[in-house]
Amino acid sequence: MEDNRSNTPSISPAAIVVAAVFIIVSAIGINWFTSFVPVVLPDQASAESKSVDELFYILVIIGGVVFFLIQGMLLISVIFFRARGDDRSDGPTYHGNPLLELIWTIIPSLVVVFLAVVSFNVWSQNSEPKAAVNMINGEEIAIKVTGARYAWTHTYETGRLDPDGDPIVINSGDALHTYIGQNVDLELRTQDVIHSYWVPAMRVKQDLLPGNPAAGGRPTEIRFTPIRVEGAQYPAEYPIVCAELCGDGHGRMRGTVVVYEDEQQFLEQFYDPAIHAILNPPADPVLRGEIVIQEYVCHSCHVLDSLGWTSRTGPSLNGIADRAGERVPGQSAEEYIVTSVWDAAAFLVPGYAEQMAQFGPDQPDTYQMDAEQLYSIVAYLCTQGEQSDCDLENSTTAIPEAIKTVFGLEVDITFGQGDGEATDAEV
Amino acid sequence: MATIAVPLGAEIESHEAEAVQRPALSEYLRWSVDHKIIGVQYGVASFLFFIIGGAMAMLIRLELWTPDLDVMVSGAAYNSLFTMHGTVMIFLFIIPMWAAFGNFVVPLQLGAKDMAFPWLNAFAFWLIPPAAIVVLLGYFVTPAEAGWTSYPPLSTLFSGDGQTLWALGAHLLGISSIMGSINFIVTIFNMRPPQMTIWRMPLLCWAVLATSIIAVMATPFLAGALTLLLLDRVAGTTFFDAAGGGDVLLWQNIFWFYSHPAVYIMVLPGMGVLSEVLSVHSRKPVFGYRMVGLSSMGIAFVGFTVWAHHMFTSLQPELRIPFMITTMIIAVPTGIKMFSWLGTIWGGKIRFTSAMLFALGFMSMFVIGGITGVMLAALPFDIHVHDTYFVVSHFHFVLFGGSVFAIYAALYHWFPKVTGRMMNERLGRIHFAFTYFGFLFTFFPMHIVGMLGMPRRVAVYDEAFANWNQLISFSAFVLGFSTFIVIYNIIRSYYRGPVAGANPWRALTLEWATTSPPPVTNFTDDPIPFEDPYGYGTEASAAYLDAVEAAFDGNENRTILD
Repeated sequence: MEDNRSNTPSISPAAIVVAAVFIIVSAIGINWFTSFVPVVLPDQASAESKSVDELFYILVIIGGVVFFLIQGMLLISVIFFRARGDDRSDGPTYHGNPLLELIWTIIPSLVVVFLAVVSFNVWSQNSEPKAAVNMINGEEIAIKVTGARYAWTHTYETGRLDPDGDPIVINSGDALHTYIGQNVDLELRTQDVIHSYWVPAMRVKQDLLPGNPAAGGRPTEIRFTPIRVEGAQYPAEYPIVCAELCGDGHGRMRGTVVVYEDEQQFLEQFYDPAIHAILNPPADPVLRGEIVIQEYVCHSCHVLDSLGWTSRTGPSLNGIADRAGERVPGQSAEEYIVTSVWDAAAFLVPGYAEQMAQFGPDQPDTYQMDAEQLYSIVAYLCTQGEQSDCDLENSTTAIPEAIKTVFGLEVDITFGQGDGEATDAEV
Repeated sequence: MATIAVPLGAEIESHEAEAVQRPALSEYLRWSVDHKIIGVQYGVASFLFFIIGGAMAMLIRLELWTPDLDVMVSGAAYNSLFTMHGTVMIFLFIIPMWAAFGNFVVPLQLGAKDMAFPWLNAFAFWLIPPAAIVVLLGYFVTPAEAGWTSYPPLSTLFSGDGQTLWALGAHLLGISSIMGSINFIVTIFNMRPPQMTIWRMPLLCWAVLATSIIAVMATPFLAGALTLLLLDRVAGTTFFDAAGGGDVLLWQNIFWFYSHPAVYIMVLPGMGVLSEVLSVHSRKPVFGYRMVGLSSMGIAFVGFTVWAHHMFTSLQPELRIPFMITTMIIAVPTGIKMFSWLGTIWGGKIRFTSAMLFALGFMSMFVIGGITGVMLAALPFDIHVHDTYFVVSHFHFVLFGGSVFAIYAALYHWFPKVTGRMMNERLGRIHFAFTYFGFLFTFFPMHIVGMLGMPRRVAVYDEAFANWNQLISFSAFVLGFSTFIVIYNIIRSYYRGPVAGANPWRALTLEWATTSPPPVTNFTDDPIPFEDPYGYGTEASAAYLDAVEAAFDGNENRTILD
């Protein structure tokens, strides 16, 4: 082995200088690398993000050592060990060094064990179930997320009942509302394919898995606790992103986490007004329809300028009332729209495939739509156009008749009227 | 002068060929059982698919120049585009490209006249064109749009008929891969010359052996998964349909049980190439030969235990930790290779040939893929970057910074043996510079956009990432341009390159101890390998190399006949 050593020029004074320079450069370089950690990661908006970023910091330091070691040795090799001029000779016949090989097997093994232990600790800390989750007004409530191509729907099961005895469920669409310090625990379900619920600022991600609808789907869970971000204005907003390919509109499948400063701000600005709105629906079916249509995933596929919808997977709803009367011979405008919402396949707009979601009284969860909701949606869509084909003056009779003709269902058009008196009825 | 082992037995004195006959180009278009013809057939076909897949990559980057959907007609069209990009690059480029080099070089390195099963070899190759037609046809019916990973239910209940053709094509390619691998295993175990023990075998053969073992063991799982997928699509079964009692995670488990080892199918032969090229062009033995050979087997073995790290966001939480640990362990044998290669060039006499530049480029880039691989194994961090551009970056550092750089190194290294002519080194250096920097600036920034919040597989993205994506797209176009340089170099060198002679690099492995290109039977006699395939720097090896030169290149009138 002594002979072999003398063959390698690794112990020359020049090599020591090079090694010293190399170590200094690496140290500065790694320090420089780590200064980028906050730049290349989003805001740390959850308790989990702190420990994940600390782990990343460790990974960058160890990765930096490996990076500078390998690139440095490569650089030294190509500078010092290149064949000069017309040197046609061979290098030293040096077959290896068992000690060195043992070292570069054992040290990486130890590093790997260290990283596994650190990662495990961060993981156990972050995945430990928390005692009080989704606390609102001192009670735990269920917050459910439904992923459907291509939108998120968040529902808050408030535990309260409206005057009719139905549970009050807040549908906040693609926004999750929470506040600093709330232990958020979401139940995730998908209506169709696999989606993945990712909040980059919280460093959490969980896939939504299709399950048997008859068995209530296959719920998965995601947990995080928002924390204060220095310098942020509250309520602060962070993106929700779909991270698993789900089809045409995958890139558009986004949402927002709205973080309020404290529970009081959360109640004042979101929760209480939302319950109030549910208990006091507008009497006008058109105004009600404007609210109802936004609770469903329609916006994820259709264009509708008056609501700011821009997705082009399905046909545009702009001016739908102008065309509705001419689409299918023998069908009135009301009948056509009624059919299109619950039975989209009955008539496909040329150029569009049969891929619209199914809505109706027998559909699960957020796809469930009763005849009264259908009535208000149709009433709203009948106003989308310049010279509507719908009978706008007699909409309170024309639309229920259309629903009766097409689906044989009676509509209680007094729905939502007069309930406003029983404001904020408690359970 | 000591007695030396001469590869050619009695033939050494009598070999006086004045000209080397190259196979006619038309032979490459016909059925042939000659492993050298089949190797070139694999190589040219794979390179064509590389160009097709690369053109798709350019379209992808064009679409991502802006945050909106503007180049493609719909998100679905974009999904089909990257589905085909991934499928073509993996199944039709990298895997068959290694079959090209394996086919051409391995029998020569073993001193064999052909592969063990020449007819099977040809059959395996000729499955590829119909499979490619089936896969690519799918793009022109209603294309698959579920990504190359084809997760159900997107791939079963939603994707178009192209998805069925995709699965059929992938099936055929899997059959081809299994047949090719069986051939390699039998050839390597049975057709070595008596003097070549397993511990004297060139490291490319070790790598191809490890790769073939993986392919034979893993590919049947792909076949199983594809069969279930096809049944779900055409026969109404519900293996992956939850409504019928199926489970979408079943696909993910079986698919990744093949597809993670498939990563090593794609990169291990490249590691074998590295061992060859680095040793020859730095004129020094491979450092720690046994550990380099064994680490290939180690990677192959551990590679079977890590698949579920692709499912960290869907797997039951309690199963995630074991897969994190096995995944991290893979870094150890990979690190052994990396350090051994550094030990190989350290203190050597490095020649900056194009082959060597790409081999050094491999080390420089692959190490980044290795570091991010360990980062991705760290479960809590992976949860954040899973399915983001960080992952896109990571696997391109492994499969482009690794496999493609190694393919280029192999191309420059063995082109003289295949064609009898040298490639242009100046163009090779220019090609390397464009590839290296184009690659680095395409893929390194992807780490950052991924961490900042950009998911993969999206045609529209947050405007905050627009500047990064323009940098990435610009660099990708530079990278795309670099391909034209090597295409030009290949065509020009095939006709006009300087005559190479038998052993232009003065390498010790047996493929260099015959004419370039070799005759139909490879060797005129049973060749005797030099005692140590990497024994550079000894008098014996110098004498051996001189003998090889004298035997084949003594005649100054050597010419290449087409």
